Amino acid sequence: MKEIKVGLATCGIAAGGMLIYDELKKEIKNNNIEVELKKTGCMGMCYREVLVEVKDDSDSYLYANVTPDKVKQIVYEHIINKKPVKEWIIKSKDINKEDAFYKKQKQIVLRNCGIIDPSSIDDYISNNGYKAIQKCLNEYSKMEVIDIIIKSGLRGRGGGGFSTGLKWKFASQAAGNKKYIICNADEGDPGAFMDRSTIEGDPHSIIEGMMIAGYAIQADEAYIYVRAEYPLAIERLLIAIKQCEDRGFLGKNIFNSNMDFKIRIKEGAGAFVCGEETALISSIEGKRGVPRIRPPFPANKGLWGKPTNINNVETYANIPWIIMNGPQAFSSMGTEKSKGTKVFALAGKIVRSGLAEVPMGITINEIIYDIGGGIVDGKKFKAVQMGGPSGGCIPASMGDLKIDYDEITKTGAIMGSGGLIVLDETTCMVDLAKFFLNFTQNESCGKCTFCRIGTKRMLEILERITAGAGKEGDIQLLEELAYKIKNSSLCGLGQTAPNPVLTTIKYFRDEYEAHIKEKRCPAHSCVSLLTYTIIEDKCIGCTLCAQKCPVNAISGKTKEPHKIKQDACIKCGLCYDSCKFDAIEKI
Amino acid sequence: MEQIKLTINGKEILTTSEKTILEVVNEHKIDEIPTLCYDERIEPYGSCFLCVVEIEGMNKLVPSCCTPVTNGMVIHTDNERIRSSRKTALELLFSNHYADCIGPCIDNCPSNVDAQGYIALISLGKYKEALELIKKQNPLPLSIGRVCVRDCELACRRDIVDEPVAINNLKRYVADIDAKHKWIPEIKPNKNKNVAVIGGGPSGLTCAYYLTLEGYSVTIFEKLPELGGMLKYGIPEYRLPKKVLNDEIKWIIDLGINVKTNIEMGKDFNINSLFNNGFDAIYIAVGAHKASNMRLKNEDDTKGVLWGIDFLRELPTKTPNLKGTVIVVGGGNTAIDAARTALRCGADTVKIVYRRSIKEMPAHPFEIEAAREEGVEFLFLTLPKTIIRNGNRLSAIECLKMELKDAKPGERPRPVPIENSEFILECSYLIGAIGQQVDTSFNDPENECQLEAWGTIKVDNNTMKTSINGVFAGGDTVTGPYTAISAIAHGKIAAQSIDKYLSTGKIEKQQKPFLSFKHKLSEVSEHELEHIEKIARNKMPELPLEKRTDNFDEVELGYSDGQSASEVLRCMECGCSEYYDCTLRKYADDFNINISDYIGETRQYKVDNRHPFIVLDSNKCINCGRCVRTCSEILEVSALGFINRGFKAVIKPAMERPLLETNCISCGNCIDTCPTGAISENFPFKVLGTLRKENHRSICNFCSIGCNINYKVIDNNIFYVSNSTDEIINSHNMGYSCIKGRFGHRYLMDPDRLEKPIIKTSDKIRKSEWHEAITFTAKHLKTIINKYGPDSIAVFGSPKYSNEELYLIQKLARTGLKTNNISSFSNLLCCPEQDCLDDSLGITVSTTTMDNIDKADIIVVINSDLSDENLIMELKIKAAKKKNTKLILINSSEIKLTKFADLWIDTRRGTNTVLLTGIARELIAKRKTDKHFIQNKTTGFNTLCEMVSTFSPARVCSLTGIDIQKYEQLIELLNNPDDNIVFIYNLDSRKEKAKGDLRAIANLLLLNNRINRDGNGLILLRDFANSIGLSDMGVSPQYLPGYIKFHENNEINRISSFWETDLKKIFKPVNFMEKMLSGRIKGMLIFGEDPLINTDNFKYFKGVEFLLVHDMFYSHTAREANVVLPAAAYIEQEGTYTSCDRRIQKVKQILKPKCGKPNWEIIANLAGHFNKGFEYESAEEIFKEIKQINRFYKNCSINGFWAENIFQKEFFTKNKKANFSIYDIDMTTLSPEKQEILFSENYFKTKIKNKLMI
Repeated sequence: MKEIKVGLATCGIAAGGMLIYDELKKEIKNNNIEVELKKTGCMGMCYREVLVEVKDDSDSYLYANVTPDKVKQIVYEHIINKKPVKEWIIKSKDINKEDAFYKKQKQIVLRNCGIIDPSSIDDYISNNGYKAIQKCLNEYSKMEVIDIIIKSGLRGRGGGGFSTGLKWKFASQAAGNKKYIICNADEGDPGAFMDRSTIEGDPHSIIEGMMIAGYAIQADEAYIYVRAEYPLAIERLLIAIKQCEDRGFLGKNIFNSNMDFKIRIKEGAGAFVCGEETALISSIEGKRGVPRIRPPFPANKGLWGKPTNINNVETYANIPWIIMNGPQAFSSMGTEKSKGTKVFALAGKIVRSGLAEVPMGITINEIIYDIGGGIVDGKKFKAVQMGGPSGGCIPASMGDLKIDYDEITKTGAIMGSGGLIVLDETTCMVDLAKFFLNFTQNESCGKCTFCRIGTKRMLEILERITAGAGKEGDIQLLEELAYKIKNSSLCGLGQTAPNPVLTTIKYFRDEYEAHIKEKRCPAHSCVSLLTYTIIEDKCIGCTLCAQKCPVNAISGKTKEPHKIKQDACIKCGLCYDSCKFDAIEKI
Repeated sequence: MEQIKLTINGKEILTTSEKTILEVVNEHKIDEIPTLCYDERIEPYGSCFLCVVEIEGMNKLVPSCCTPVTNGMVIHTDNERIRSSRKTALELLFSNHYADCIGPCIDNCPSNVDAQGYIALISLGKYKEALELIKKQNPLPLSIGRVCVRDCELACRRDIVDEPVAINNLKRYVADIDAKHKWIPEIKPNKNKNVAVIGGGPSGLTCAYYLTLEGYSVTIFEKLPELGGMLKYGIPEYRLPKKVLNDEIKWIIDLGINVKTNIEMGKDFNINSLFNNGFDAIYIAVGAHKASNMRLKNEDDTKGVLWGIDFLRELPTKTPNLKGTVIVVGGGNTAIDAARTALRCGADTVKIVYRRSIKEMPAHPFEIEAAREEGVEFLFLTLPKTIIRNGNRLSAIECLKMELKDAKPGERPRPVPIENSEFILECSYLIGAIGQQVDTSFNDPENECQLEAWGTIKVDNNTMKTSINGVFAGGDTVTGPYTAISAIAHGKIAAQSIDKYLSTGKIEKQQKPFLSFKHKLSEVSEHELEHIEKIARNKMPELPLEKRTDNFDEVELGYSDGQSASEVLRCMECGCSEYYDCTLRKYADDFNINISDYIGETRQYKVDNRHPFIVLDSNKCINCGRCVRTCSEILEVSALGFINRGFKAVIKPAMERPLLETNCISCGNCIDTCPTGAISENFPFKVLGTLRKENHRSICNFCSIGCNINYKVIDNNIFYVSNSTDEIINSHNMGYSCIKGRFGHRYLMDPDRLEKPIIKTSDKIRKSEWHEAITFTAKHLKTIINKYGPDSIAVFGSPKYSNEELYLIQKLARTGLKTNNISSFSNLLCCPEQDCLDDSLGITVSTTTMDNIDKADIIVVINSDLSDENLIMELKIKAAKKKNTKLILINSSEIKLTKFADLWIDTRRGTNTVLLTGIARELIAKRKTDKHFIQNKTTGFNTLCEMVSTFSPARVCSLTGIDIQKYEQLIELLNNPDDNIVFIYNLDSRKEKAKGDLRAIANLLLLNNRINRDGNGLILLRDFANSIGLSDMGVSPQYLPGYIKFHENNEINRISSFWETDLKKIFKPVNFMEKMLSGRIKGMLIFGEDPLINTDNFKYFKGVEFLLVHDMFYSHTAREANVVLPAAAYIEQEGTYTSCDRRIQKVKQILKPKCGKPNWEIIANLAGHFNKGFEYESAEEIFKEIKQINRFYKNCSINGFWAENIFQKEFFTKNKKANFSIYDIDMTTLSPEKQEILFSENYFKTKIKNKLMI
């Protein structure tokens, strides 16, 4: 028996991972077992947390959905009696219950997640860690490093999709003897958690990526801008930085190379707009996080007015792999213009929610059906929302679309940072657009007129549409405002804020029209437009619905069909949920 | 920077990179791109998106203010897409601009009378101006002030707090005042065109009035015997006395209007005949005088049945004697008037029968109330059904009870009879007052005016034109029976249309300006106004009830002065003070915006007026951030910042504290940069909203920087400072001011300003006329001269007087009084070292100018607390620092500027001479001096070397108390001879200054020839506006004008002959202090100073037998004076001032002098009693003489510097060389505190600055 690993990223902890860890620790101690108990990061299968991996001499066994009461049995039967509890194991030599989840994935960014102990630099080193930076320092000139990255075809994984190598080139060519590296870990899209999981599972790969970038552009100082809502990520980064400093990987003269490199963590206060690079820089400088116009680009005038390279977590995490495996290995994956892999956070009405890293070029349907296992409760797949509040909806009919920056942009959505929310037939697309617009409206920095007031007015129009007060001409007004906002905002937040509205109008215009003209919500989701009625034929007069109704809007005699008084009904849906005979209809 | 080529609107432009598109467009005057968030003085920001332009090849529109030009760019600044985007931006901004452009009172008035404006003018006591303002929209305020339905008051926001402001009562108040001494408007030259006005009611009179003012010949044709229309024939005497109305009509007619009465259109003439008889246009306003019938059987032939309107009309000629019960049918004002009149005609009981309830009554509530008070009974929900007769005499009526049904939103409910509810009302009279109709029988079938279905004349409501060319109509003729103020509005619009029609042949609709109103965006909540103190509305004094019933005396008596004074204070000043200066509103009209699509949630805040001078109204904020950026970038104060995100983002003081509790320095520069009214001045008077203000560029009179400021004048004596005009922004202070420059001038509006001379004799103090006071003064001075000789007289001038005044003051002393006892207390008591550079340079003045500090590599500020004394200098330094200029600050204690200094040398007080001497030693030791210059242009170098040799670093550090490292750093910074260095030193500083400081600085300047090199030199700051002029003009016993010293015989002779006075006898050294202390000064003339504010200074007045004081106020010194002459303020007269860096600037007369004449005239009048040579026509003539007398002013020009590069040719020392100074080290400083001996400074300290204490 060698080791037991517990998945303790935020997803694991949220599912009760710490309880399992403590329980295991107790059992191991009580039973005097010689085994190494380790923490590890997210293994991707968030839907299966808590995950515990037991490694013995011959095999590794992955237990899923571990609860505290299962711990004793696993310890007793598997570890002491050497009889793995097969029914709980999802992966071992013989068992492969979640094969489909992994089959189409290709893990570069997540290569160490769930495998190494993120708080152990030795674990990282033993998995080829810090070899890439040394390789650069020893074998490559700065330009050669940039060339490798250019050749790999890596594009910014934060959503912009700009060539990472070119970005480095601009920063390296910018005049100035003081330059900065910034890692943007201000992951703010609702439903996105790729960067958090990557940092929690493998902080050193990001640090190493930043070092390489620092070497390439001749920067000696770096910041990781990470939101304060990610305490575990911050903790693991701090540990990793400390370990690097202790070993001379960070600080003066790193790896005895004449290169100085220092990394600081800057905790963001959770303003979504601070994910925009100029706002982020302003925030690090201690100012209000407000974007400014580009040019000048950060590559020429960034932090404190000095040339600065900003990439996001996933981009940096790719770098050491590319250096170690060569640009061709990376560029051989993907489509003509989108190379390598992309990590997606699968969320919404999907069976297997979690992290999946897929090669570019895979189709949406493959992600949803093959990796994600399809739609929950067998409902109908309606659309995917990609790219968060800046992105848009791609309808189910376009499920064969390949994951590729340019292909996705053509649909009106964007690749974004990797949030992928799956929607089924019960999602109202107007309501969904409203949700995202409400988010951007609240998160706008309030600087530009169109973004500050324009999105508010759009939101108000959506609010009245979903409340059944939509007017003829509202769709046109929405579109008109949307294009003006896109055309006249300083930063990406404003320029993309109308996307969720525009794509839903583009693909689901009939839903908007149904709300406005027929005062009807086709997905039966907008409360103001719902009507609950009792189907006389089905109602047996059990009175349950009348008992549940909080406003006494249901009346009827026992064993006789009941009736809902429509003007009293507050559309809470309790009757609908409580009826055991499907006798209540929601329209 | 590289040369680039680009195309803008098809035009090829050559320019350089590093510019923005907007800069290039403005520079080449290609277009006027609208901007809100752009202020050329601060970094571009790009938030309003008004300045968007299109660049070919780019999908998005880009903000031109912050997009740099690049080579080959093809730019379009105006097309449909751009305009549409700009328009939407404005609409969005306005949809969240919860603010009133003008008072809702003005907007709700059919004639848009500027109620807020006239209330403000009444509050200032400007009754005549208030009346003029009213008459711009309404020529009948005496009448309307009595009978108006007061739509203004319906809209008054004060109603939310307590009750509406009694706007109409205030109007009547000023109109009544004017009735006594009438204002006569100006009439334009005769246009030789004739207009016929048919109907002499309010509408016709109004139209006639405005057309007459425009120069048209107007004839009014009236069917009835007298003019006045419904005002005369429909409104009873007790509401509008005929005398008042007649007076008002007479006032209009007397402007030159022809009147023909008893002549009826349709009978005596018609439209065609008018045109044929030479009339060019016609206005029909014949009213609606025909009573509607009640549709009752027999109503026309029953005795005792009357018509309300006929009843009222005939009243003046035949007052009926009514007895018994009178029943009035109807719910409008005519019904009420008829009922109240019936009471006065002797009726026992008067009942009003109305088919709906009181809520639906169209009559004005206060009229209903008055009727009730007088005893009128009301029967609501009652409808007369049948007339019951006794023969053909009315005996009773049968009525039905009604109920109200089916109230649709916005409509009155329908009254429906209740079955079998009939009842009988006995009565002797029945008066029908259910409405009137227009009698259109005048209409000529051959040339017919089109009518509406309901019988009124059809017009275009925007222009009042009818279907016939050249014929216009208005008033009740168009609306049916309606209000007088609406009739007046029509008359005014018609007059404008007729004027257009007759002058251009076209009638255009006037575009109404876009106006923002709070209530159009959201309901105005009580919460928003909860901080406003509730004050009851002043009740209109009325005739007691018992005195009303048997007569027609006017019931409402009019406000007393006290009532009006307290009522005006109730006005909440809703209309924006920036109405005319608001950029946002201006663009709204330019782009013809419509915000209806975007009305939604608005941000709402309470107005923050906790700061004594600055009002923050976040409701009006458009988040352009100009204030925030000005405060942080220019002033580096950061008192304001953004809070919140998204739609709720807004600008607030730091930490959302009251502004006073932030770093705010109350400079008010945020007010100027704000493009809306979100930041405005907390005026010491009522907000004057829509009143026009005139801009006057002038300069500030506080410190010696000579900032250009813009005075905004509202009707002569009321003004404030607002620096947003282009010419001020382009001046040397870039439109920025300090707290003094912005709010300090308020003292000129103080009611305590002197207007008349005061003579004090042994028994009393009395006001006198000018001539007497001046003769009295001359007589007493002559007596003293005769008794004690001319040397017993001393004359003092103020450092805040103009060059012209100061020149005359010293000329008066030297040529009139024949004494050289001429100085200023400010110099004598506060700044004794007027000559500290004389030995080394020949004159003691700034060697360089403020514009030059831009070129400096290093600025050394010594003994100057700029933040407090010369803020604008500090801003210039901060601006220079942004271009990498280094700042060295030498000051014993920490001041605001310290944190901006690259190096702060914290010497012990008084030891700066030691430090500066030490620096000279190091420069000499390191051989960093300009040998060539020293050899050729200076003397005393060797002596200097000897003197400084003992000031080793160790000794300097031990004496000054600074660390050796700091000292080394300082030497390191200063020892590059090629660096440009500017020294800034406040000559008036007290706490730090020691005697040798400036001599030591002069030595440093000479060591590297920093005298004639650009970007080098010394700026001598002074505390007062014309401290320099004071010396320049020779208000000093040491110099004649132009710094002529005792030894300069040629110059003295030149001036002697000019002045025809032998100066050799007069111009001699004076030991002033000794003379005063020993009581040898018997007669004293003090111009503009208040030395006795400090009682210590009485010691200088020991021997004084006669004291003349010239001041704007009854100052401490004035109280002791035998004669006080009132002074004019600097903005009340012309003159020039010389700034600390020798810039000569002109001050224009902006206001009329309160005391009646300019100061130079007063001085010249007095001087004329002693000598000739004071016969000036203007200040300009005096300046011409100054140019002839003062050698440095010879070739100067206004706004230029006197003698640029003054030392280029020579130094003004005896040997014409610069001399290294040898001085004693005296480490004692002057007395620690300054004496504020100027009234203005003291006023500022006590009445302005003290308000900032929390």
